[in-house]
Amino acid sequence: MKVEVSRRKFLQGSVALAIAGGTSISVSNLLAKDKGKIEITTKTGTGEATFVPTLCEMCVNKCAAIARVENGVVTKLDPNPRFPKSKNMLCPRGNAGIQALYDPDRLKSPMIRDGKKGSGKFKKVTWDEAYSYIEEKMVKILDEEKDNRSSFLFCAGEGMAEHTFKQFYQAFGSANWLNHSSICLQTVVSGYGVTLGAYPQSDLENAEYVIMAGANRAEAIVTPDTMDMFKRTKGRGTKMICIDPRFTNTAAKADKWLAIKPGTDLAFVLALTYVTITEEIYNKKYVEDNFAGFDKYKQSIIENKYTPQWAEKITGIKATDIIKVAREFMAHAPKSVYYPGRRSTFAKNDFQLRRAMAIFQGLGGGIDCKGGLVFGSKIKLKGHEGLEPIYDRARSRGVDKKKNAVKGEAGYSDCAVVGGGGSWVSWRNRFLEKRMPYNVRGMFIYKHNPVLNMPNSAKTIEMLKKMELVVAIDTMPSDTVMYADVVLPECTYLERTDPVKTFGGVEPSIAQRNKVVEPMFESKPVMEIMQGLTNKISKSIFEITKKHDEEVQDLIKEDGEEAAYAEFDLTKPFHESQEKINEHAVHDHHGAAEELKKHGVYYPDMGKYYKQVSANVHQYYIESRKSYSVNGGKPKTKSGKVECYLANLSTKGVDPMPIWRDEYNFNVPKGKFRLLTGRHAQFTQSGTANNSVLRDLIFENYIWINKRIAKAKDIKFGDNIEVSSSAGKVTIKAYPTEKIAPDTVFFVHGFGQESEALSWAYKNGANDNAVIEDVTEPVYGAAAMHETNVEIRKV
Amino acid sequence: MARYGMALDYKNCINCKACEVACKEENGVLLGADKHRIWVGVGEIEGEYPLLSIVSNTFYPSQCQHCDEAPCQMVCPTNATYYGEQGQVRVDPEKCILCSYCMNACPYDARYVDDRTMTVDKCTFCTDTRLERGETTTACQNTCPTKVRIFGDLDDPQSEISELLRTREHFTLKANLGTKPKLFYLT
Amino acid sequence: MIAQIKEFITTIPVKKVSVKDLLSFEKNFANYLVAAFVVVGMAMLVIGVITYLGHGHHAYNVTREHPWGLMIAVYIFFVVSSTGLCIVGSLGDVFGFKDYELISKRAIFGSIVTILAGFLVIAFEIGHPVTMVIYNVVSPGLTSAIWWMGTLYGAYLAFMIVEFIFLLKNDMKMAKYFGLAGLLIGLAAHSNLGSVFGFLNARPISNGVFYPTYFILTAFITGIFIAFIIMGFRYRLRFNEEVKKMLTGLAKIQALLLSILIFFVTWKLLTDIYGGMPDRAEVAIHILGSGTFWAEVILAMVIPLVIILKTGGKAHVALVFASLSGMVGIFFMRYNLVHDTQLKPLQMLKKVEYQLPPEWVHYFPSATEMMISIGGLAFCIAMYWVGTKAFNLDADH
Ligand SMILES: Nc1nc2c(c(=O)[nH]1)N[C@H]1C(S)=C(S)[C@@H](COP(=O)(O)OP(=O)(O)OC[C@H]3O[C@@H](n4cnc5c(=O)[nH]c(N)nc54)[C@H](O)[C@@H]3O)O[C@H]1N2
Ligand SMILES: Nc1nc2c(c(=O)[nH]1)N[C@H]1C(S)=C(S)[C@@H](COP(=O)(O)OP(=O)(O)OC[C@H]3O[C@@H](n4cnc5c(=O)[nH]c(N)nc54)[C@H](O)[C@@H]3O)O[C@H]1N2
Ligand code: SF4
Ligand code: SF4
Ligand code: SF4
Ligand code: SF4
Ligand code: SF4
Ligand SMILES: [Mo]
Repeated sequence: MKVEVSRRKFLQGSVALAIAGGTSISVSNLLAKDKGKIEITTKTGTGEATFVPTLCEMCVNKCAAIARVENGVVTKLDPNPRFPKSKNMLCPRGNAGIQALYDPDRLKSPMIRDGKKGSGKFKKVTWDEAYSYIEEKMVKILDEEKDNRSSFLFCAGEGMAEHTFKQFYQAFGSANWLNHSSICLQTVVSGYGVTLGAYPQSDLENAEYVIMAGANRAEAIVTPDTMDMFKRTKGRGTKMICIDPRFTNTAAKADKWLAIKPGTDLAFVLALTYVTITEEIYNKKYVEDNFAGFDKYKQSIIENKYTPQWAEKITGIKATDIIKVAREFMAHAPKSVYYPGRRSTFAKNDFQLRRAMAIFQGLGGGIDCKGGLVFGSKIKLKGHEGLEPIYDRARSRGVDKKKNAVKGEAGYSDCAVVGGGGSWVSWRNRFLEKRMPYNVRGMFIYKHNPVLNMPNSAKTIEMLKKMELVVAIDTMPSDTVMYADVVLPECTYLERTDPVKTFGGVEPSIAQRNKVVEPMFESKPVMEIMQGLTNKISKSIFEITKKHDEEVQDLIKEDGEEAAYAEFDLTKPFHESQEKINEHAVHDHHGAAEELKKHGVYYPDMGKYYKQVSANVHQYYIESRKSYSVNGGKPKTKSGKVECYLANLSTKGVDPMPIWRDEYNFNVPKGKFRLLTGRHAQFTQSGTANNSVLRDLIFENYIWINKRIAKAKDIKFGDNIEVSSSAGKVTIKAYPTEKIAPDTVFFVHGFGQESEALSWAYKNGANDNAVIEDVTEPVYGAAAMHETNVEIRKV
Repeated sequence: MARYGMALDYKNCINCKACEVACKEENGVLLGADKHRIWVGVGEIEGEYPLLSIVSNTFYPSQCQHCDEAPCQMVCPTNATYYGEQGQVRVDPEKCILCSYCMNACPYDARYVDDRTMTVDKCTFCTDTRLERGETTTACQNTCPTKVRIFGDLDDPQSEISELLRTREHFTLKANLGTKPKLFYLT
Repeated sequence: MIAQIKEFITTIPVKKVSVKDLLSFEKNFANYLVAAFVVVGMAMLVIGVITYLGHGHHAYNVTREHPWGLMIAVYIFFVVSSTGLCIVGSLGDVFGFKDYELISKRAIFGSIVTILAGFLVIAFEIGHPVTMVIYNVVSPGLTSAIWWMGTLYGAYLAFMIVEFIFLLKNDMKMAKYFGLAGLLIGLAAHSNLGSVFGFLNARPISNGVFYPTYFILTAFITGIFIAFIIMGFRYRLRFNEEVKKMLTGLAKIQALLLSILIFFVTWKLLTDIYGGMPDRAEVAIHILGSGTFWAEVILAMVIPLVIILKTGGKAHVALVFASLSGMVGIFFMRYNLVHDTQLKPLQMLKKVEYQLPPEWVHYFPSATEMMISIGGLAFCIAMYWVGTKAFNLDADH
């Protein structure tokens, strides 16, 4: 009953909830047998309502939604049929977005740490107090570091307003930026980037043959792929081969599931390539016209004898199956897709794997064409004026350069190349191991939860503890927020208008997240937070620059202080409202601003072509206007060719073309298990763990362990299992199943929060990153998440 | 007058449960493991890794079948369970005495107890929410990522669902019981 | 008319009972035991009902998969007892078997208190008993076995009360008419209760003609068991010849009935299992493996039958105890009926991510359900006790 009261109060206090006109907030509290068994859902009314088109931010896909608002309360989120990317759907998490808005544990006001770091003790402060606190610490650190702007780290998770935060980072002048890419899709984006010139999309609406390897589209929802794929499987147009060490929901939808040993996909693709080349079933014309370095690659494949029999031993996939898949793929080409994948860095060889996949795709000619991989087109937006001042004292990115590195070796000790998003794990470890070229003493975190999302949580916590100033901008008291010094509450996505965004693809469009309801409590959109913060600190930190930066001193002498300051005025990118900025961004498209407010979506001739064809089908573009082919069927590399052999990689110590190395072989010491991690359809990474409706569907994560092994170890369903590695240990319930190999275990990522402020997520299930070791792959330093062997023990 | 039914392209289903969440949010369904109007059933996988039977893991989305000959209606002592104007099987919470007979009689496990009213609840085809507002389809149909459901009027030969049922093979669940379900599984 | 009714009522022979009367009983162990049971049972009833009022059905272990629990079984237990007693009572005053007139009044009164106890228990099982009373009338569900069962039992209760009054007034003719009507309605009500299960298409184990007929049979059996217990209590196990004669007669009937029952149950199980029809054969085999089924068989069938056959129905004292065993067995019989109907999940698929595949539906009554059920029995005994004080329940000669 206690919970019920506070839940009511929460709603009343915040949105002046009027229960009338058929809208009711139904609250009920069962005899609380289980912790957190509290329920709240809203029945939609039949009276008056307003509808606001918005975009979902329960995960990275940004599906279009229409919010139903009754008496100021969001009672329903419905899919917005107009958006070609999400095709009139909201997934379970998208539907549960209401619960993110009305989560009683939300961050409600700015807070400053009031106890030991990590104690979870904070005091409520005003926005101004929070800004002042930041200002004071910042001035001190910058002064002591002689205006080295890079003494602050900025990191962000993926999101529509990430850009706003990034503008702050740019204006501030640090060189240390980290985002999700090195723990997500760095290797696939780069692998395809250097090989095909871009990270392509897959035309699953028209492909006839799809190899889904290491991508779980039924559970890891990616739009429009998830929707396009499963309407056509099972003998209805697309033959789908699922390659996964686990039997996933995608495998359940496949025509064939090939269980592969983790981390050996490269051998599989090399063998496919071998079959294709030796049987000469590839598209010779395409290869001739569009490949660079093919002969070298061909030679390598043949000389290295990457035969199906060779691959069978490595991958566990039968040679006959490999031959069959290669033949079928090529028979259907170019309408066949080797799906590039999303979260990619499973093993250390991942960059090479993605290159091999891209080249194999090219052998069939299925590039930039209907039914194959597509680049699509994009509707242009006008840029918004940012600010990138030059701070003379700012040092470049905090990397660990190898001393006397010779040619043919990586220049850095952590990896060969430093990408734009950096290597999170390497950066953190450098910091902890004092391998930074200078002091980094403060950090800003936006919409990101590195404690839970980076391998080896203990190390991340240690890093956060060592930072003198941690500012976290979040909506929830996450595990990362618990280690912050200053917490700034952003409002949820339903309470703000975000930067308008253009979505490229076969059917490109622009979409906009419109504010549905006013921000609750004292939360604000990051745009306004940036306005407030920069107003506070801009002048005072400029004083530090003035003090240490001779260039600036000169500039002032020349132009006067005011003019000099104008170039360093951090407030500048944040002067305008988001709505104004968006209007400006779409200014070139007539009527777009209005459409975006009214419908949330805009694309040329939407009025003319958009229509509902049947209950489940909408038309966006007519066939002739779709962007299947935008580059004449060629890859987008500078050379216009599929790059098989990249000489410049070898100068950095990276194999110039994909080859197999013995150290890639999968092996697990006896008695240990390889730990895999991944998605679940009703859960987003660490972000939805406290969502009551989703937790109703999947209460906690369980460890998958092969049934026969479980039996031998006397492990039954629901038994508590201790999982341990060199990184740490966790306890989790057992799920014996035949869906996983005897030497492998798996559990869904995103559970096991330690923040007590999350009433429902707290200590619920287990955090995989507490046991995943911080292994990185050698090219970009991306976290290789499936390289950890664990021990398990019934407790 | 329409007679509503639903066809399910069940092979599309990926067991994401968007339909279940949409239903809960639309209709204010209580939370709790056994409180649901809609669900996806899946059998335990058969075989030994890696030789597993894919079909044994088929997903079967389901909900109240809105039977034309509904056992739940027949057994209801107070007519709390009744046929709506468009053939929907509904429960009137005013009349329901919670004898639970219908829960026992429904062959499809479609019914549960709503703890607020202490009466039996089940899928309504969104009659008192969406349909009453003049919308033409249900929350579960609308939100489904892979578009499993087609909702419509079985009596209208022109409707998409009628057309589908004419042209595609389908089956109903526990057809031998004679309940005449209005949920059709397309094969 | 009104005056006549007034007169009719005021002339019912009722003794004035004071609290003192109620508390005065022969101080022996058995009586203390019963008295203690009644007091504790009534306390449980109060606690159970309060818990129920506070938490509703959450106080019960009933679930979506197993919506009917102990209290439905106990309700059935009581109404079957009532029907059984009505049959036994009718032997004398409806059918005119003189030997059995001895027990008519007690049996008829017993049938009234047992059905009242049944109604008491069901009132706390059904979510909205008041709504039921209203909508049973306003909106009758004529295709519902429960509606017929409930309505007929309501009428039955009325007839039994009137019959009992005529018996008290010694108006045997009127008693006979009302008795006959009551019996017929009772039998109808009772087979309807059987059909509550028999009509369940969804449940192959219960579906069919078996339960409606079986219910009548087992009711008669139950009635005879209770008759033994009542008489044993009345005569403190020291029976006179007249009573002995009657009991021997009842025992013989009982032997026949139990034999038929065993025959019935055997064939029911055999047909259930034969052919291996899924949902039915599996359940039947599961039933054969359950302790409560064997409790039913041994306590309600084997022990009483063996004793009757061994002694030619003449070991009356032993038979009183055998009847106690029989009633415990009959309780299991009701519990099994309710539970076994719901044993098999209506669908065998997993619905949530981490779950074992559904197997047999489990159920064990909650403390509240047990308290209300035990309370029902205590209530029944207490009413009977009041009855023995307020009315002359012995046959008038
Ligand atoms: N519901 C839901 N959807 C999401 C997200 C979410 O959190 N929840 N997150 C979004 C984000 S950020 C991303 S990056 C994507 C991720 O999308 P995906 O990359 O498709 O999903 P994952 O579950 O991370 O991993 C994919 C699969 O790879 C398998 N796998 C592991 N090791 C190997 C291997 O060595 N070889 C092969 N062939 N397979 C292997 C795993 O068993 C898993 O099934 O999903 C997006 N969509
Ligand atoms: N072991 C393991 N680790 C993984 C993965 C895995 O599969 N296994 N997946 C990896 C992948 S693919 C990715 S993309 C990363 C994702 O890692 P993150 O980028 O950290 O993403 P989330 O876990 O979604 O955490 C997002 C944080 O943002 C907050 N948030 C949500 N909405 C808002 C908002 O509107 N404003 C603000 N300011 N904050 C908000 C949430 O409360 C949460 O704290 O994790 C990676 N880490
Ligand atoms: S996939 Fe789901 S959670 Fe992600 S944006 Fe779309 S609706 Fe939202
Ligand atoms: S929303 Fe659609 S795909 Fe998802 S579980 Fe429901 S029916 Fe299946
Ligand atoms: S499925 Fe069950 S609840 Fe629905 S109409 Fe049929 S019998 Fe009634
Ligand atoms: S529980 Fe309600 S709806 Fe179901 S049969 Fe009883 S009265 Fe009718
Ligand atoms: S039709 Fe409506 S009430 Fe029925 S399951 Fe779908 S959303 Fe729920
Ligand atoms: Mo990701």
